[in-house]
Amino acid sequence: MPVSATSACSPEAAGARRCMRAFLRLLAGVLAVLVLALALWPAAREAASLAQGAHRFIPLGQLWFELDRASLNMAQAGIQRYVAPWLWEDVVQRLLVLPAWPVLGGVALLLLLLRLLLLRPRAR
Amino acid sequence: MFVHRRKPWQRPDSEATPEAAVLAHAARPRRLSRRGLLAGAAAVGAVGTAGGIAARAQGRDPMAWWEAQAGNDPTRALYPAARTAAYTLDRPLTEPREAITYNNFYEFGSHKGIWQAAQRLETRPWTVTIDGLVARPRTVDIDALIRTFPLEERLYRFRCVEAWAMAVPWTGFPLAAFLRWAEPLGSAKYVIFETFQNPAVAPGFRQTWYPWPYRDGFTIAECANELAFMVTGIYGRPLPPQMGAPLRVITPWKYGFKQPKSLTRITFVADRPVGYWEKLQPSEYGFWANVNPAVAHPRWSQATERMLGTNERRPTLIWNGYGEQVAGLYAGLGHERLFA
Repeated sequence: MPVSATSACSPEAAGARRCMRAFLRLLAGVLAVLVLALALWPAAREAASLAQGAHRFIPLGQLWFELDRASLNMAQAGIQRYVAPWLWEDVVQRLLVLPAWPVLGGVALLLLLLRLLLLRPRAR
Repeated sequence: MFVHRRKPWQRPDSEATPEAAVLAHAARPRRLSRRGLLAGAAAVGAVGTAGGIAARAQGRDPMAWWEAQAGNDPTRALYPAARTAAYTLDRPLTEPREAITYNNFYEFGSHKGIWQAAQRLETRPWTVTIDGLVARPRTVDIDALIRTFPLEERLYRFRCVEAWAMAVPWTGFPLAAFLRWAEPLGSAKYVIFETFQNPAVAPGFRQTWYPWPYRDGFTIAECANELAFMVTGIYGRPLPPQMGAPLRVITPWKYGFKQPKSLTRITFVADRPVGYWEKLQPSEYGFWANVNPAVAHPRWSQATERMLGTNERRPTLIWNGYGEQVAGLYAGLGHERLFA
């Protein structure tokens, strides 16, 4: 049944939208904290290596490999065998060789920005 | 001495298209479209980049491409070698086209179009270093090494851990003969075989988190077994790159992931090494990797195998059918994870 303008503006519908926005705010906030925590791990290791005078970026792929090498291996096989070999070599692999903490830090910032946008009251 | 080696794509004058045919083709009317120009520019760009040879292999018939490569191999005259009658098969030989176009070579990716990507691998000049616990460490030219041993052809079954299989005529020399030639010291208990490592050739090396180069090892006793074979060719020709040219190891009672390709170093050591796949996925791949239909891979059954080409399902044989020759190697090793 189509939703009429009246029902979309009803107190029930407005309540549901508020609930959804609250959920998305919470989700964005939790994800931002998790991704930021994940970014801190390689950042701390890089800082330690820098203090020892031998700095080297830790790529995203390295982080994935250390966290769960089986899923990394299966993702490569799945994409190359069942989607397209170039998708892994030319797209995914290029992302995975990027340094982990700046990329993850950027993703965390985007999530926080999204959360802020969701906090703003909607114009009527 | 200057030795001119023809590249795979260089053809003799005798194979050149007759001038009349070229002129007749050129005289045909055609439209010069923008799409055609763009496609031509893209093709020229592709051929001009690092993947030049691989790009030239695109769209080529794999058998014709291989024939051209084999024709330029410095050891071509050694093929076909005499077949050793002792090694027989219980199944028909796999069609060459199937065997050379369905390959695993992780350095080039994990898809099944490896044969084209692997054409980037230039197999000459090529050297192999023999070091570690040997009387005389040395680096030898591949052609000199191949000519050191009389070549023979053997029919072997090949079983991949992915549950596909083939039956092929390998050409090479016994690994036992190589061991005698390499003169390992008494303290050497294992042999490590190492594959080439060149990031300019294979995209896999860009994934620096993997434990490159591929290395894997066998016990000295396994290497001395009569079945262990140093392979230089297949189907009466030198190996194509995708199958591990110019030199690889075949131990036919083990799964394919335990068959090092395109060897550049062979090292004799005292301690058991951890192989490439064992490092990557120890829960799935172990040191011994012997074929056993009763021991399933964690993600699939190993009870049967699919034959390349025919897709026939056959029951997998324990030790891949070579128990008579190799089961004795593992007496007293029941506590080990022999079949993964």
